[in-house]
Amino acid sequence: MRKTAALALGLALSAAAAAPAQEPSPAPSWPAAELAAGDARRVLGDPAGMPVSGSVLDARTDEVAALLRCPVCQGLSVADSPSTMAQNMKKQVRDLLAQGYDGQQVLAYYERSYGEFVRLQPPLRGINWLLWLAPAIALAGGGLVFARMTRKRGAAGSAAAPAPAAAGPPGDPVLERYRERVRALAYGEGEPGRAEKPAVTPGERR
Amino acid sequence: VNRKVLLVGLAAVLPLVGVLLANIRHNPDPSLKRSPLVGRAAPAFTLPQVGGGPPLSLASLHGRPVVMNFWATWCVPCYQEHGVLLRGARQHGGSVQFLGIVYEDEEQRVREFLAQEGGAYPSLMDASGRTAIAYGVYGVPETYFIDAQGRIAHKHVGPLDDAALDDGLRRITAAAAAEER
Repeated sequence: MRKTAALALGLALSAAAAAPAQEPSPAPSWPAAELAAGDARRVLGDPAGMPVSGSVLDARTDEVAALLRCPVCQGLSVADSPSTMAQNMKKQVRDLLAQGYDGQQVLAYYERSYGEFVRLQPPLRGINWLLWLAPAIALAGGGLVFARMTRKRGAAGSAAAPAPAAAGPPGDPVLERYRERVRALAYGEGEPGRAEKPAVTPGERR
Repeated sequence: VNRKVLLVGLAAVLPLVGVLLANIRHNPDPSLKRSPLVGRAAPAFTLPQVGGGPPLSLASLHGRPVVMNFWATWCVPCYQEHGVLLRGARQHGGSVQFLGIVYEDEEQRVREFLAQEGGAYPSLMDASGRTAIAYGVYGVPETYFIDAQGRIAHKHVGPLDDAALDDGLRRITAAAAAEER
């Protein structure tokens, strides 16, 4: 299972790497960013994308920070948390993206330290597939049941027209009384007086 | 028909309720989960020392087991464990390198703290917080025990007492001894 997870992650990473590259821009040459990337570079290797800067970098930073859980908060993303830890992480995310690391690489970097917990969106691998597919399965299953029920009801409706006795839940004494009266009025069988003790003719309950 | 709907509904809902209840009951504290870094290479760093001196890197300590303590002067449990760490450093400093990594704090305060409480090993400033992030720190104090091969052998969350420190030391010195054989 570990192996499949690693494989899935690898696939996700290569898929992300194949994603259209950001518009090219001059590589930032901030020594601070380079120094800070030391550990990330050791863990992740080379950036999968092109360096980004300016408004593209701002947007990508917010996007990726929103996918990271702030480790010192209660269910807040790094983008939303005012804590020092979250701000430090956000600065680092920005540096990494500026150097051309893509979102999947950045998430993988933090996952090494904090585990899958740090991702606010469970990645598509292992048992998580169940989590992502369950709503679709439930919806499809419900739709199937619904379709079958409506089809049956439609068929029952047209088939039951010549035999109205089949409609409605049998056995309700109050309803049975009315049914008896309707039958008497419509078909002339039975008498209104007998409605107190409904007569059950053979075949009526089918 | 109603009974069937009821049974199908229960079959669908009960497992969900079960998962919910299990999660409410366990409600795992993320900081107490086993760190994914335990058993793996300790993240590298090069950080400036409190009080000057050359920056210290993990690589420069290679071959020695390391006790790495993330702490801050605003952290009350860190006062509690300070004595334990001092004693440990004085006792095992010959074979094990003790390191303090200052977490979200100012150097001036750290100097005052060390002047007052005493210091027996280097403390490093992690101004960007990136070393703490690389180690998966959730808060202070947290202590990482790194063996002579540079692997994180053990992580202790919360203040250390003598037993916890001894346990950690045994893991990194035992691992080192096993490797030598």
